[in-house]
Amino acid sequence: MVTRFEDLFPGLRGSPYQVTAPPDPSYNCLAWAAGVTDAWWWPSGDPQQVYWPSGVPREETLGAVAAAFATLGYATCKHEGVEIGYEKIAFFANAAGVPTHAARQSSKGRWSSKLGQLERIEHALRDLEGAAYGVVALLMKRPLPIGSETAERGRTIARLA
Amino acid sequence: MASVPLNQLSATSPTETIEQRFRRLEAAWISETGHLSSHEAIVNHPAFREIISMRDAVIPFMLQDLAERPRLWVWALPEITRADPVSPGDGGKVAKMSEAWLRWGREHGYQW
Repeated sequence: MVTRFEDLFPGLRGSPYQVTAPPDPSYNCLAWAAGVTDAWWWPSGDPQQVYWPSGVPREETLGAVAAAFATLGYATCKHEGVEIGYEKIAFFANAAGVPTHAARQSSKGRWSSKLGQLERIEHALRDLEGAAYGVVALLMKRPLPIGSETAERGRTIARLA
Repeated sequence: MASVPLNQLSATSPTETIEQRFRRLEAAWISETGHLSSHEAIVNHPAFREIISMRDAVIPFMLQDLAERPRLWVWALPEITRADPVSPGDGGKVAKMSEAWLRWGREHGYQW
């Protein structure tokens, strides 16, 4: 049976993915990528209705998205693979280059996406590419906080390697 | 996910109540935009615009929904009511915006 997710994102068909949180209109993909679950982040719309970091242009461009996440310590990067000691975010854009979605990487190289108002899922990054979200157009990373469980595990693995 | 033809959005049956029409439009709106994050795409969807056009008649249903859990009706209510009860600094915080609209509803005599 094809689920509604697989209908929206054909790349999920036959691929292992799982729902990790129920529908919740309190937050969206960009908020989740920023580690926030109580606000709707988007680079356009009335500031009384939509959150966007102050001082960052309110325009639906990848540049504005990159600027917003730069305020959180992220810098652009080239590769979507796991890098020990870093956390990564992938931004999707449509054919016109307009941002559509963001996903954040988990420690095991899987990606976590809040699908608009709908559920949060864990998936392979490229499985969400297609008509709904377009393609991965921008990758950013930042160092994991020193002392975080994931960072320490990564450093231990690096020492043993 | 199948698109809802625009001509079906306005296919109000003679026996359809206001709430039934509201719920039909809501279902179409969620089906088409539920996975999206773009504020512009969400509020400009034809079903959302048709809900807005129902004006005050849908306010009790929206408040009833907000009492259950936060919803994006907080983006429709300012356009319908021309009010803005959300505190500066709470913009985008949908749960806090929902609470502000429930307070506004009580202050204006709405029951849900």
